[in-house]
Amino acid sequence: MMQEFDAIVVGSGITGGWSAKELTQAGLKVLMIERGRDIEHGTGYKTETLAPWELPFRGMGDAERYWAEYPVQSMNRHFNEFTEHHFVNDRENPYAVPEGKDFNWWRSYQMGGRSLTWGRQCYRWSDYDFGANKADGHGLDWPIRYADLAPWYDRVEDFIGVSGAAEGLAALPDGRFQPPMALNVVEQHCRDVFMDKFPDRRLTVGRTANLTEAKEGRSKCQYRSICARGCSYGAYFSTQSSTLPAAKATGNLTVITDSVVEGVDHDPVTGRATGVRYLDVKTGKRGTATARLVFLNAGAFNSNHILLRSTSERFPNGLANSSGVLGTHIMDHATTLSGIAMMPGFETHTSYGNRPTGIVVPRFRNLDQQDGSGFTRGYSFQGGALQSTWTAGKRAAGLGVDYKESLRHPGPWRMIFVTFAESLPRATNRLTLDRAKTDPHGAPVLNIAFEHGANEHAALADAKGQAKVMLEAAGGHVFLGFDQPGAGGSAIHEMGGARMGNDPAESVLDKWNRAHDVPNLFVTDGAAMSSSACQNPSLTYMALTARACANAVSMLREGTI
Amino acid sequence: MADNGLGEFDRRSAIGGGLVLAALVGTPLWIWGKARQGEKGEATEDQRRMIDTVSDLVIPRTDTPGASDVGVGDFVVLALNHGLDGTREPAAGAAIQGGGPAPTPRGGLYLLDDLAIMLRIKAGGDFNRATPAAQRAALTAIDTRAFAPGNDKDPWHKIKDLILTGYYTSEAGGSKELQYELVPGRWDPDVPLKPSDRAFSSDWTAVEFG
Repeated sequence: MMQEFDAIVVGSGITGGWSAKELTQAGLKVLMIERGRDIEHGTGYKTETLAPWELPFRGMGDAERYWAEYPVQSMNRHFNEFTEHHFVNDRENPYAVPEGKDFNWWRSYQMGGRSLTWGRQCYRWSDYDFGANKADGHGLDWPIRYADLAPWYDRVEDFIGVSGAAEGLAALPDGRFQPPMALNVVEQHCRDVFMDKFPDRRLTVGRTANLTEAKEGRSKCQYRSICARGCSYGAYFSTQSSTLPAAKATGNLTVITDSVVEGVDHDPVTGRATGVRYLDVKTGKRGTATARLVFLNAGAFNSNHILLRSTSERFPNGLANSSGVLGTHIMDHATTLSGIAMMPGFETHTSYGNRPTGIVVPRFRNLDQQDGSGFTRGYSFQGGALQSTWTAGKRAAGLGVDYKESLRHPGPWRMIFVTFAESLPRATNRLTLDRAKTDPHGAPVLNIAFEHGANEHAALADAKGQAKVMLEAAGGHVFLGFDQPGAGGSAIHEMGGARMGNDPAESVLDKWNRAHDVPNLFVTDGAAMSSSACQNPSLTYMALTARACANAVSMLREGTI
Repeated sequence: MADNGLGEFDRRSAIGGGLVLAALVGTPLWIWGKARQGEKGEATEDQRRMIDTVSDLVIPRTDTPGASDVGVGDFVVLALNHGLDGTREPAAGAAIQGGGPAPTPRGGLYLLDDLAIMLRIKAGGDFNRATPAAQRAALTAIDTRAFAPGNDKDPWHKIKDLILTGYYTSEAGGSKELQYELVPGRWDPDVPLKPSDRAFSSDWTAVEFG
């Protein structure tokens, strides 16, 4: 059979862009299929330079329309009138949840996917993380360890540009960083206090894919912190700013947009994937494409969705699902606002510019000592110190000249700790096809059954207590803190469902992100995750993708695939 | 409008008879808003005059424009009509799928109905015709009550929020009263703050979390 392409990459987001870049640079002819519309770098960022007064609803957006069209997406704090076009329309893109459960599935269907809207935090995993499933028995042991991925973290960081500070922490390995953005005066104070009073806890600036030094056609960060509108400076990593131009420059890339992949075709004789079927959502026409390799990078849950929909006589329960575990053990992170404190003593200090990252206090629980009360694994704090502005007036009594004057100046400093706690892999948290409900294209929608468990609740309870202890040690007055997680999906770190493992009877993917059942099918987005750690996961997805691509190319050249 | 001693809104509420009672006994006003959702989705002229006056009492003209100079009243009416800031219904958290109840033609305008009632009570008559001192005293009483402990749900909070939003997201409020810098171009983590320094309306983190 003559294949049209060497490889098909499904999706153009963070990992799809990486697959396209790595495979085209290796000389493969690649087709990248994106379900959403094209967005051109720079010229496509329509709201990037607008001021609030240039928008009908001043940046808040039309709540009435959001209620009707974006009831889920509009709960995302990055969703507003400046960014709404970078999120899906919920009415047109339905999903299902079981009665009595919630899941916030926040999505971006467009060229670049969520690489346009992501939080840009980049953290390596350590062997505490890759060894966690084996150590405490939750989930299935990872088939890889940190040493397997370390050189690929290097490669990814070198290319995307990550600013951050090396700290020498075992729980959060250092990377190849551009110079860090500085802590502000309150954060620096907290760091100093923690180093003195909590030697196991380090506050450092958030490691972020925002450039502090220009590189390859990309400018350094302008400190606007309006990244999710799109950045024509190319100062943060997105498909548009980084991987797409690199892939296009090879001359080996073909791109189709506005086309939803409906299934991966499988030849039962050869046992191989032959290509994909897709629907052109503009014309309503269906098409097929063939290739020697298929990479699923549709986003964790949508890659599961495609596999679940790709049924055949050989795979009646979904492609590459001979194990029956496809769709199971999905995860997110349990997240909540653990503490806010007023931070007196810095009234004569302020800052200039909008730093597009906060701070992180890496995991300190259950490392070499099991010191978590009622929970295994850990959590980290993110957040930062900031001053208030006019919105503080919403909490203040007053009218008139004096009130207006009081809102004219930067307000008092406060420090915020938000917790991200590890989500344990559980078989009952799973994705299934909901055959009772279809999307506008007639496809059965994804049913997302997810809830946080006792472990996550115990971790957040500990986090609330420790946030208070730490902030008070730094002189803060804690006035608010929570210990209950938001609905599943609220961390926007949904992952799993096609987990990696050594045993084909218990996992979907092997140690190269290759389907045990289908030797030329790869899944390298968040679907592949066997555990969640508590770090923001995108950097790990990228490293896994780069590693899988290199291995796939080697196998292709050796004729073993 | 015929001058019968009652504004358009007051006449309707007198006919309906329920709103003042609702305000006094604490029945959630949005229920009354729903009951009246078939009515025309606009603020009355009296309410527009009222919100202009009220917004100027909150943010008066000083060395920079005041609220009515930049059309804050129009923004508040638009925002309420479209349910911004959770004003269409209390706790307007969206249902997970399929959205919530259908939008109502009047959106959150019932909050203006409530404000009109309370201002009439506090001013001892038509707020729009009261003296400036009486207007200020009436609104001060409402503001003071709303910020007393336990009154977080007072409807005045939402109106005041939208007045602030309307003002500080206007060009004058955002870039004359405060500073607006779209492209700072650099990050200075620690600079001296002088008492005269103005906050940045373009400090998006402060706007969201401050």
